[in-house]
This record gives sequence, structure tokens and C-alpha cells, in this order.
Amino acid sequence: MKNRLFVAIAFVALMPIIAYAAAAQKPIIDGYLAAAKAENSAFSGFSAERGKAFFLAKHDTSADTPSCTTCHTADPTKAGQTRAGKDVAPMAVSKTPDRFTDAEKVEKWFTRNCQSVLGRACTAQEKGDFITFMASL
Amino acid sequence: MNLNSKNDVSSSVRVWDLGVRTFHWGLVTAVFVAAMTGFFGSPDSLSIHLIAGISICLLVLFRIIWGFSGSTYARFRTFLFSSNSVRQRLQDILARRHIRYLGHNPLGAWMIFALLLTLTLIVSTGAVVLGGVFKQGPLAFMMSFTTGRLVQEIHQILAFGLVGLIVLHLLGVAYETIIGKEKLISAMISGDKPALPDVAPPLPAKARPVVAFIVFAIFGLGGTFGVASFAARPGLGVPTASVDPLYAKECGACHFAYHPSMGTSAFWGGILGHLDQHFGEDASLPDGSRAQLAAYLKENSSEHWDTRVAHVLATANPNEPLRFTATRFWTRMHREIPDKVFASKAVGFKGACNACHSDAKTGLFAPQNIEIPEEARL
Repeated sequence: MKNRLFVAIAFVALMPIIAYAAAAQKPIIDGYLAAAKAENSAFSGFSAERGKAFFLAKHDTSADTPSCTTCHTADPTKAGQTRAGKDVAPMAVSKTPDRFTDAEKVEKWFTRNCQSVLGRACTAQEKGDFITFMASL
Repeated sequence: MNLNSKNDVSSSVRVWDLGVRTFHWGLVTAVFVAAMTGFFGSPDSLSIHLIAGISICLLVLFRIIWGFSGSTYARFRTFLFSSNSVRQRLQDILARRHIRYLGHNPLGAWMIFALLLTLTLIVSTGAVVLGGVFKQGPLAFMMSFTTGRLVQEIHQILAFGLVGLIVLHLLGVAYETIIGKEKLISAMISGDKPALPDVAPPLPAKARPVVAFIVFAIFGLGGTFGVASFAARPGLGVPTASVDPLYAKECGACHFAYHPSMGTSAFWGGILGHLDQHFGEDASLPDGSRAQLAAYLKENSSEHWDTRVAHVLATANPNEPLRFTATRFWTRMHREIPDKVFASKAVGFKGACNACHSDAKTGLFAPQNIEIPEEARL
């Protein structure tokens, strides 16, 4: 009884934080949404499924970093590790609520990591799918 | 004749008092430990080497005091021999004439002074090396790395010299034991030797342990306070400011934020000039932050510091000039670390300095601050 009460209180206390995080991710998603529409007139919205496939795919452009999962591991709810041994907080928004809330940081890492893994810049649709997948977990 | 018989007092004499015997075996232990860690130790045996060195310093201090306040044969005045008597002793040995001495014979006496002098020099040069190379101890505030490195050579030569003296000392003991039939080793344990009725003993002296203790305490405490106050001063050319927050954030996102003193300004220029191809990954930065980091690294590169790392990691490997772990120094210092340690989850990477060096972020890399994580050793 006491436990259930505690969980309820904790949940209520966390609500504003979760709501804030979701709200903070919206402008970034909206930005990529507009860009994706501009890139492709047939674009009909982001898909967590496509984002998952993109995340797990082996792109094999670089021997050191063939896939997102090289550093982030195949489970985004778990912490990853850089090739240089540093921990990377889980990508899933449920585990790391401040993910995708800082537009500059998001762009910096997409720019770097798309170049490292794919050898090219990512499209707005790929970025939006990726964030949608991470937010769905 | 039975040396151990307590009733047979007239035939045995107390030559080596408790002070001399304690000093002798204490010194044997301390020198053995210092030599083992000095000649064969790994980088992290420095703390044991230092404990041994400090013990030698205190033992020598005690012995010098005891040379003026101990019992008869402990006093320096009873074994001050001229070079003529040393020559005479050598001639006696060569002519197989064995002349007994109760205390030190002339040759042995000179050996004692040679050992005490060499030990004093080894301890002194050791303090210079500790200050200059490792930026620790009472001389860290004034000794440059270059001086420390030079004196390290002298420290090593003296150490080999000490080994030579010890070998001669042991040969002397062997000669006295085998040819002279003297029980020197048991005499240094029990303190007693058979009496020599025909030889006039030196003017006897009573041991003054209380006086010796007071003098030892004055020098010992004074020395300790002096050493402690000098050691508390900041080391010469040692970085004191913590790493720039932007540097720590940007570079520390993927790897340990290497202290700027680990690379020359040319090294950092090379790193910042190719961030888009950073060890196989794109690590591009906005121009603003890159310029800010360039200024910070230029001002704090190895040329500005006098630590060991600032000197030795600057000599890059021409094949891989931008990789610390490719330098000869790095390779030599880590040669005993098995690959599985670097591959372990706790370390993960050769360049994860801070996984084992707890002071890596200060750029000091003291040998005492190395600890390989337990889970990496399994």
C-alpha cells in the first residue's frame, strides 16, 4: 500500500519533467519535419519503424564504425561506449530525458556521426525517423 | 671455546652494541628493498622505493649520531685509520698474515665510511630526482626536469657503485670468516667476539642512548618539518589550473580529455587541423569553439610545463605523430600491461589514461597514483 502510494507520488512528481522533455523535443522534430517536406514532396511523416531499421543497419562505409550500433549498441535503452572507452548515455528518451532537446548538440552529432558511419550527411527524414524511434522506446 | 656461553665472560667481549646491530640489519633490509625496487621495479614501485630511501636516510642519520654517542666500538674515533694502516692491512692479507681486530680492521673501517658516504649521496641525489623528474618531495619547487634527469644518471651510477661496495664488503666478510676463522656474522647478531688479551683495547666509552635519542629526535623532527614545508610548495612547472570547461566538454565527450601539457603546440595544431578525420571519425567542431580550443591548447601545450609527461610525450613517433600511445615512452612504460587490461570494460582503450592513472587529468601522472581496476585484471 505504502509502495503504491510512493510510486504514484513519484510519477506525479516526474510528470512535469517528462512533459517538459517531450515539449523540448517538439521544436527539433518540427524543424526536421519542415526540412523533410522540402526535401521530398511525397513525404508523409516520420516512422519509428524506419528509424529502427536505419539505426540497426550495417552501412559498412567505415571499418571502424560500420553501424550506429558500433558505439550505441543494438539496444538504445542501454548505455553505449565510444571507441575511446567513454560511456555514452542511452539514446532512448525514456532513459535519457534530455536527449534531442538541444538543437545545436543534435546537429553537431548528426553531422559528425553520419559522416563517420555513412560517409555522407543524413537526410532530414533519416534524422526525424531516428529521433522518432528513440522517443518511442 | 664457546662464544655463546654466558658463564665464559672473560673470553668474550661485547663489540657490537644493540645500536650498531640494529642499524646494520635495518640497513641491510632497507638497501635490499631499495635496490630491488630501483633496479627491477615497475613504475608503481616508487612508493616502496621511497619508503626504503627514507629509512636509509634515517638509519644513516642515526649511525652518524651513534658514531659519537655509542659504546666503544661504535664510535668513529675507534676506527679512524690512516691510509698507511690500510696499505699494511692489504699487505698482511696478500702475505697471508692474519691479524685480528676486535672492532673494524683498517680496510673494513674505510669500507664503513665509504658505505656511509655513498648512501648519503644516493639519498641526496634521490631527493633531487624525486623533485625534478616526479615533482614530488622537498626539492620539487626548485628542481627542473632536466636537472632531475641528469642527476638520475648519477643516482644510478652511485647505486651500481654501492652494489660494488657491498660485494667487496661481503668478500671481506667471507675472507675473515673462511681464512681468518672469525665468526663475523654471528658477532653481528649476538654482538660478542672472542676477547683479544694481547691487544690493548681502545679507550672504553659508555653508550649514551638518551643523548643519542634526543639529538636524533631534534634532527629527525627538524628535518621532517623542513621537508614537509618545502614539499608543500607547488612543484616547478607543474600545472595547477583545472582543464578548460569547453575543452573538457567537447573533447571529453568521446575520450579522456588529455591534459594540454601532453602535446606540443605543433601536436595540438595537427589535431585541430584535421578534426573531420579524427582517428577514423568525424569530430568536427563549429569554428567558434575550435578557435577557442586552439587558443587554450596553444597557451597550455607541453612547452609551457616542466612535468615528466610534458617532456617525454613530446617526442612523437614519426609514423603516428598524433597518437600518444604510439610514442616510445608510452610503449616502454606500459610494456608489462597485458592487452586484456586495455580491452576490458573498465578500461576499454589504450588512451583511457584516467582508467588507471587517478591524477591523469592534472597532467602529473605520479607513479603512486596508478591503480589498474580490479575487474580489468581478471
